[in-house]
Amino acid sequence: MGLFTRRKKAEKTKNENYKIKSTTSLDENLKKIRTILKDCDDVIYKEFRVGAKQDLEFALIFTDGLANKEFINESVLADLMYHAREIPPDAPELGNELFNLVKYGSIPTPELKEIDNLDDAVLAVLIGDAVLLINGTAKILVLGVKGWPARGVSEPGTESSVKGPRDGFTETYRFNSALVRRRIRDPRLKLKQMQVGRRSTTDIGIFYIEDIAQTELVEEVQRRLKTIDIDGLLDSNYLEELIEDNPYSLFPQMKATERPDKVAAALFQGKVAIMMDNTPFALIAPATFNSFFHASEDHYIRWIPATVLRIMRFVAGTLSLVMPALYIAVTSYHPGILPSELVLSIAAAREGVPFPAVVEALIMELTFELLREASVRLPILVGGVVGIVGGLVIGQAAVEAGIVSPIMVIIVAVTAISSFSIPDYTFSNAFRLFRFLLIFASGFLGLYGIILGLLLMLGHLVRLKSFGMPYLSPFVSLTPSDLKDTLVRLPIFMMRRRPLGVANDKIRLNNNRSEIYNSKDKKDESQGADKHDKK
Amino acid sequence: MIRNNDMISPYQLAMIVIMTVIGVGIFNFVHIVAKYGGNDGWLIIGILGLVHIFVGLLLVRLGRRFPGKTFPEYIQEIIGVIPGKILVLLIASYIMINLAYEIREFTEVAKMFLLPRTPTEIIIFALIAVCVYVVRGGVESVARIVEITFPLLFIPFFLVLLPGLPELDLSNLLPLVSDLDIKFMRMIPRVPFAFRGMEYILFYMGFMKKPEKASKSVTWALVFITFFYVSISVICLSAFGAKSATKAIWPLLIYIRNINIPGLFIERLDGVILSIWVITIFTTVITGFFIVTYSLSKVINTKEHKQYALPLLIVIYYLALQPSGLAELYEWGSWGFKYVSPIFVYGVPIFALVIAALRRQGVKRDEEF
Repeated sequence: MGLFTRRKKAEKTKNENYKIKSTTSLDENLKKIRTILKDCDDVIYKEFRVGAKQDLEFALIFTDGLANKEFINESVLADLMYHAREIPPDAPELGNELFNLVKYGSIPTPELKEIDNLDDAVLAVLIGDAVLLINGTAKILVLGVKGWPARGVSEPGTESSVKGPRDGFTETYRFNSALVRRRIRDPRLKLKQMQVGRRSTTDIGIFYIEDIAQTELVEEVQRRLKTIDIDGLLDSNYLEELIEDNPYSLFPQMKATERPDKVAAALFQGKVAIMMDNTPFALIAPATFNSFFHASEDHYIRWIPATVLRIMRFVAGTLSLVMPALYIAVTSYHPGILPSELVLSIAAAREGVPFPAVVEALIMELTFELLREASVRLPILVGGVVGIVGGLVIGQAAVEAGIVSPIMVIIVAVTAISSFSIPDYTFSNAFRLFRFLLIFASGFLGLYGIILGLLLMLGHLVRLKSFGMPYLSPFVSLTPSDLKDTLVRLPIFMMRRRPLGVANDKIRLNNNRSEIYNSKDKKDESQGADKHDKK
Repeated sequence: MIRNNDMISPYQLAMIVIMTVIGVGIFNFVHIVAKYGGNDGWLIIGILGLVHIFVGLLLVRLGRRFPGKTFPEYIQEIIGVIPGKILVLLIASYIMINLAYEIREFTEVAKMFLLPRTPTEIIIFALIAVCVYVVRGGVESVARIVEITFPLLFIPFFLVLLPGLPELDLSNLLPLVSDLDIKFMRMIPRVPFAFRGMEYILFYMGFMKKPEKASKSVTWALVFITFFYVSISVICLSAFGAKSATKAIWPLLIYIRNINIPGLFIERLDGVILSIWVITIFTTVITGFFIVTYSLSKVINTKEHKQYALPLLIVIYYLALQPSGLAELYEWGSWGFKYVSPIFVYGVPIFALVIAALRRQGVKRDEEF
């Protein structure tokens, strides 16, 4: 074991140090690059000569489709061919002279980088930049001319809202970082970038606000990201599973979101956002149980309806967990709990159903999960069929055939609707699975089993941590001021302080509402106050 | 960012004390109060409860002599390593038997009201298995789960008690204060039963970041417990009268069973309350269970306590299955709580405090401030 890791380590350091240096000869450089990029037919090599005597040799390399060809044609090639004439032909170091001219004067692009090895040059080509090689100098210029077909900013598919901003992240990392930056125009909003993935070299950015996020948190996130050694990353879930605290848990320990406003809100709370190229899902760490029940819309509508909706969501979450289990417990273990009329009507409905309540519940729940899975995977055109099959065949026909009782259908329906009201998809999946656990527990031990199952879940949740933050905070390690944004959503002016775990800038808002009331009566004074503020 | 620091807050300490001391015994509690204290039982338990605040503060006194250390650690300093380890082992086995008793008592109640046909073994095993999972999470998990279940347990419980209040007949409590001295003498041996679990303070205080705040949390916890005991005693005594309350084994459950909330679709509340009451037995067991595993790790000098949880499951399971029935269980209990519990609740801490004071160990009172 030790032997292998040691060997791996040696290989790794070797790879890092070993980079092919470029030489002054253009031909040699080109030849080497061509060998590296052998059989990569989408890479375009453009060799050209400029100058009065046509003796200055250049080569431009870029990947077709990833680089903006128009820009290369109009601004790079055309300008180079014109400007290279300004160099005196008998300059002693022709190459370097040329290089400086090109670097500082010639190409109208803001993104210019100077490198001196061929590996980085190849990487730049593959990222979508153009590489300019000049005969006579070992330095290589990387021109930022990225431009590939990308999906535009559109409304997020998984987290839609009635009110509030409608822009969502896209697959292009740079757009996403811009969307966040647009919301926080603060020099203290930091974006640290790195590249992860041996083969995919995926761009990853860590967003945080310097004096709000704790330095240890930022460092911990970076440390964990640096441990990743994988060939390629395709979605932020790869990252999540590789760096989360407990990969065996059902519960997500980072919040994946498509909404830039959610990311911005999290940053203001001292959290860290991890963004990745090629996925519209940014990760927010640390995430808590509480935050998965929140929709960003809670802050965009008035606080009283927001609070009611939020409580409803928590109730619905609980219902989606326990409804089928309660049905089983009540019908097969404790019929005495319910009033006799209700028990009688349940018994009458269940008459003729050949299965015990557990089996009945399992049949219906499994059918529902199948339906749900089918409707997610099917193309939209066929999707309607699923509704008909689900509604008619399974709902009505199953009852009429006497396989399940109508009450069970109601239970499954309520459970389904409730489970949809949990805003986060990953999180609601955890609830889905726990629901089955509770069904079994209740089948064995009735109400006692349900409570034990819930305690087991609670036991798991209290053990869980997300980047050192208890998963159930702020309900545990109680800080009363943090409870303002949990089950309830108090008015924004009341949330003066940032939540627990914030570094320096703890005050979120200074409540100046009293000035509004005062100014209504005394206009003169308020104007005076305004002037005072401006000073 | 909050690091994994194995620390508990003053609030969590209070919750631990409350959730440990209030256990399954509560169902049987009113029966004992009525039997030995008669219609003045509520008053006596109130006074004795306030006395126990001082016992609690005594425990805190001992804990504060050794800030940042738990009982198994400092007892080895006080009375020497080997005697200390033996004492810790004794306490651990006492707590374990206690837990087995609690679990068995709960199982009997649950069998009577919730699961008449389910085998005792399964009820016991399922409960301990869930507890093992939480205990393996360490002191932080224990403290957090206790903290979070406290409102989940008591808010519905008090809400359920409310609708029955108008039907109480307070004249059942009359005559007030008669033969108080005799009742006191009869009640005192039974009190350790109601307050067992207090000695856990010695263990959990060592995990506190600010042990100087322990006295406040312990006081509040004991005030709450006393209030709780007094209120359910008053409710049951005035609902049934002392004589009828003596006849029932679990007067509180019968009281709850008779509550009818108009308009609620639930008819019999005892099942619901009993299933919520699983939480309290659960918390009582995990706080004790953690101490047992922790003590073992200190006796054997291992870093972790986790590995002892699973083997102890079998021990507790075995112990819980020993009594053949409820009668035998309560017989053992009434003997044990009368003679053994006082040794561990009051005897050991006072003994340790006196020795520590005589040998001038730990931080003295005047140095603290």
